[in-house]
Amino acid sequence: MTNYYAGLDIGSTMTKAVIMDDSEIIASFIGSTGAQHRKLANRVMEQTLEKAGISFGDITCVIATGYGRINVPFADKQKTEILCHARGVASLFPTARSIIDIGGQDSKAIKLKNGRVIDFVMNDKCAAGTGRFLEVIADSLGLGVEEMSQMAFNSKTFVKISNICTVFAEQEVSDKLSDGVPVDELVAGIHESMATSVHRIAKRLVLDKDIVITGGGAKNKGLVKMLSQKFDHPVLVPQNPLITGAMGAALYGKDLVAKQDGFFKNRKERKLKNVTFFE
Amino acid sequence: MSRFSSNQVKNRYVGRIFCIDQIRVKMKYTAGIDIGTAYSKGVIISNGNMLSACMLPSGRNFNAAAKKVMDKALDLAKLSPSDICSIGATGHGAKNVPFADEVISDLICAAKAVFLLFPSVVTIVDIGALSSRAMRLSENGSLAKFIFSGKCAGGSGKILQVIARVLDVKLSEVGTLSLKSKNRVEFNTGCAVFMESEAVSRVAEGASREDLLAGLHHALASQICSLAERVEMEKDYLLIGGGAQDQGLVKAVNDFTGKNFMIPDNPQLIAAFGAALIAEKNNDFSKKGMEK
Repeated sequence: MTNYYAGLDIGSTMTKAVIMDDSEIIASFIGSTGAQHRKLANRVMEQTLEKAGISFGDITCVIATGYGRINVPFADKQKTEILCHARGVASLFPTARSIIDIGGQDSKAIKLKNGRVIDFVMNDKCAAGTGRFLEVIADSLGLGVEEMSQMAFNSKTFVKISNICTVFAEQEVSDKLSDGVPVDELVAGIHESMATSVHRIAKRLVLDKDIVITGGGAKNKGLVKMLSQKFDHPVLVPQNPLITGAMGAALYGKDLVAKQDGFFKNRKERKLKNVTFFE
Repeated sequence: MSRFSSNQVKNRYVGRIFCIDQIRVKMKYTAGIDIGTAYSKGVIISNGNMLSACMLPSGRNFNAAAKKVMDKALDLAKLSPSDICSIGATGHGAKNVPFADEVISDLICAAKAVFLLFPSVVTIVDIGALSSRAMRLSENGSLAKFIFSGKCAGGSGKILQVIARVLDVKLSEVGTLSLKSKNRVEFNTGCAVFMESEAVSRVAEGASREDLLAGLHHALASQICSLAERVEMEKDYLLIGGGAQDQGLVKAVNDFTGKNFMIPDNPQLIAAFGAALIAEKNNDFSKKGMEK
């Protein structure tokens, strides 16, 4: 009988779920977290199970991670997102020595050695350098974040944004816009500023290559380009950068099962439907 | 028939005016212009006394704001531009005052004005729209130590604007509402952007505006106090800048530090007044006044 492992990553902005068998990912799900994330875990799990074509009883181990990990009552174990990202990235890129995770409301840099976390730094105090920065600016410009990333990628020059603070940068952008600065140069400047903020956080650790970028920020081509310039080295991006955390969680499940075989025998008693809480 | 011909009368009249003008020229007028990110302030002084003062929103164009605030101050003092013998500019947009004779740091201006108006004050905390700063004066009124908050909206008066907009409260009402709070909301963040979304979700959970504003003042006060502590606070204490107009914030700062901060009558005009004082002192009237 095949073992299935589920990993749920409840982030501040996006919720990710992955179901793996012993060798590969068989289903993944990405949805926005929203305000109701406490009730969301069941639904995400159900949808992922449906995609995978298996039932909840088939899952050997469920590991939850991310900032909302305590809100997954059916999880066998909670793991921090730092560990899960490290595990996921190490399995995808065995040569990776550093991870930069750019999330919706935080960003972090993780240093790896032989696939293990040896140090990390995190910013969740200031919106600069997180996905939120781009969202705020995108809102005020009336553009989509994806549209902006394409603009920044294509733009050859950028206008320096001198403010770090998101609120003041937003003001600066609208001022510069009415001064007649072209939008694409401004957007490129925004991405440069974002890359500078991320780099400022990350350089507190002396990062070795290879550097892998994960999280929503890794889907932003413009930002990845600017970050490679800042680090003076091309950075690696997983095929699906959002789910490395969830994938790492699933892999942790696999490790746990391998270590203590008897522990998960009672999985038939674990019921998804019975979960009612916070209502 | 009058005793003088009309021509003679005219001559005497002109002579009189001329005399008055001479007296006027001998009076020394100096202007101080403080271009802040939110408000532009202008004062006109003569021998250290304030003749007129005005405050206008800076808007986007600092040059236009500087001109507007200068004209308004002159208008209020009933003077013309030629009466002013020197102009000192300060603030974030000081370089955008094309007619200024000198550009002076806002810290030095504030220190100068505070030392003249409140000689007992040692610690000054200035809460502006762009940044907050703490200063300590030495015995002779010079700046002994100062520290900036950095350009973070969460530690400056900007956060008051941001949250007031979210809660649909006028900035002038923020203070009074906050003082009515009975159950302060604790914010988990110091960042203006995160605080804004936290405020929105707290409103959805049913928190009152009063409690949210009190929480906001508490969070801001904690940032300002950690700043002030780094200059080694000593009495007396003075709070200036736009933030000092907000009674809720003043109370929060007092509660947080356990000190009693004084508030001047026009906390926002201090730097402009200081700029005028410095410009007046630096300007030798006999040379420069005639040139103009």
